[in-house]
Amino acid sequence: MRAARLPLLALAVAAGTAAPRVAGAAAGSIRGRVEVTREPPAPQARPSIGELSMPPPRDLPNRRRSVVYLEAAPQGAFEEHEGRAIMDQRHETFVPYVLAVTVGTTVDFTNSDRTYHNVFSLSKPRRFDLGRYATGQSKSVRFDRPGVVRVFCEIHSHMSAFILVFAHRFFATTDADGRYRIDNVPPGAYTIVAWNDGEARETRTVRMGEDGGVMEQDFVVR
Amino acid sequence: MRAAALLATALSAIAAAAGAQPSVEPRRFALGVELSAAVGPEDRGFFNYTSYEDSAQRLARLSLTAEWHLAERVALLGEVRDENLGTPRVYALYARVRPWRDRAFDVQAGLIPPVFGAFSRRRYGGDNPLIGYPLAYQYLTSVRSDAVPGTESDLLVTRGAGWRVRYPFGWGNPDPEPGLPLVNALRWDTGVQAHIGSGRFEASAALTQGTLSSPRVHDDNGGKQLSARVAWKPVVGLILGASGARGEYLSRDVIGALPPERRGHDAQQAWGVDLEYSRDRWILRSEAIWSRWQTPMLERSLGALGFTAEGRCKVLPGLYAAARLDHLGFTHIDGPAGRVSWDAPVWRTEGGLGYVPVRHVLVKVAYQHNWRDGGRVRERALLTSQLVVWF
Repeated sequence: MRAARLPLLALAVAAGTAAPRVAGAAAGSIRGRVEVTREPPAPQARPSIGELSMPPPRDLPNRRRSVVYLEAAPQGAFEEHEGRAIMDQRHETFVPYVLAVTVGTTVDFTNSDRTYHNVFSLSKPRRFDLGRYATGQSKSVRFDRPGVVRVFCEIHSHMSAFILVFAHRFFATTDADGRYRIDNVPPGAYTIVAWNDGEARETRTVRMGEDGGVMEQDFVVR
Repeated sequence: MRAAALLATALSAIAAAAGAQPSVEPRRFALGVELSAAVGPEDRGFFNYTSYEDSAQRLARLSLTAEWHLAERVALLGEVRDENLGTPRVYALYARVRPWRDRAFDVQAGLIPPVFGAFSRRRYGGDNPLIGYPLAYQYLTSVRSDAVPGTESDLLVTRGAGWRVRYPFGWGNPDPEPGLPLVNALRWDTGVQAHIGSGRFEASAALTQGTLSSPRVHDDNGGKQLSARVAWKPVVGLILGASGARGEYLSRDVIGALPPERRGHDAQQAWGVDLEYSRDRWILRSEAIWSRWQTPMLERSLGALGFTAEGRCKVLPGLYAAARLDHLGFTHIDGPAGRVSWDAPVWRTEGGLGYVPVRHVLVKVAYQHNWRDGGRVRERALLTSQLVVWF
């Protein structure tokens, strides 16, 4: 699976491979737009065959949100960031559906629903199970290894989300219009990846000039 | 299968009529597939048998479930199962309609989930933390729906042998057949039910063809069962439920064979209370069911009390431990050797581990110990493993 490239990225950085150096000429920015033309399938719960009533209404996750990142980061770009981020559970949906953080970030899984949720992940970069907790409560997980972490709720089979853990800061999550911006990119050649809904959808090689500036890179996810 | 097809056609017509109202959500179709296989030693004491042939400890099952939202407030649901490479059977097929958008009131009609109790609506393999079923929902007693014992002695000769019951001087079908559990968790009943509430208080009632112990697609005695359940959720994570049911369980054939003065005493009546409390990594559940069968040729009704308590604790991500304590006791009748319970009391303990290596795979290993105060085999321990795969 192409999504498995994220852990490889961390190895490349740690080993100091032929990636460009941070120091030197002016840094630039990469910006653009990721247009998702495909219609993401709605998340499917298992048939509620044993229920006595209609399932409660729930929100649909924003599966058009993408993450754009540099596959090989500049040497020395590795940094551990002691930050915090929030992934809420609202109307039986993880919000946001995609969360991109750096290694060392602690994610708070808040529960804004009136029912129990039980967040868990069996992904190799971070296996955890937060147990059941009620509305207004929050439990936290610190992510210390880069990679893709798939998050689920044990009680609600239709709930899922992604957390992308990077070993560097050269990534950006698209906004509501699909726009992104990665700043402070040193001169050099990079592989830039547009990731959407579980897969690296498009990969291309770009070169940031010595004088920095702003580079436009648009993607279309079909 | 022909009956199922007719039922499906009827339900489609109901749903199509209701579906004429405007829809604000896209139509959607959800399909679920679950494969489970339990491998264990032969259960020589028939403690886990759900019929004369099938044991829950040696069961391969392929289950297809579907939910089709024809409109915003109308859905069709169904399940087809194949067990031990037998003939696939329809286990559920019903329409779900919410007549008013802003009211938590739902009607379901067809081959419907039971409203009584809590366990029998746990349809998926992962919903049962262990491999065995609670005794009240599975263990075959020596009561039958197609035959009645002629005397107390007639009943007592089958004591502790509910998987193959024959009354030497009974009425009705003379061939040996399996007896009835208190509540049959493996088959659903046909009828209509209503459910109200979605918050702290919920209530359900159903009118069905069969009874708790003998659910039916076709009516076989002209009687109907009325069952109901109320549930209260005082705080998140705590559910308290109470259930009741009453219906005629004896078939038309056996009733017709009885002396006229003995007819009309053929009801199963049951009461149940259930509790579930979950928090953090724990789930605790307990259920008690009292069932009473009227038996036309005997002086006293036959009562049975099933009690079960189970707990599940997650010890690591993807790994849990679970345990269940079970008992099934019976009322006493006068026999040749004095007062004795009409069937042999049973105790069961079961403990096990469940491991989820990836999200759609569950592996269970469970050790079960059974004791029975009667019958040919009085004690049996079983070590069983089960694989459940779903998507």
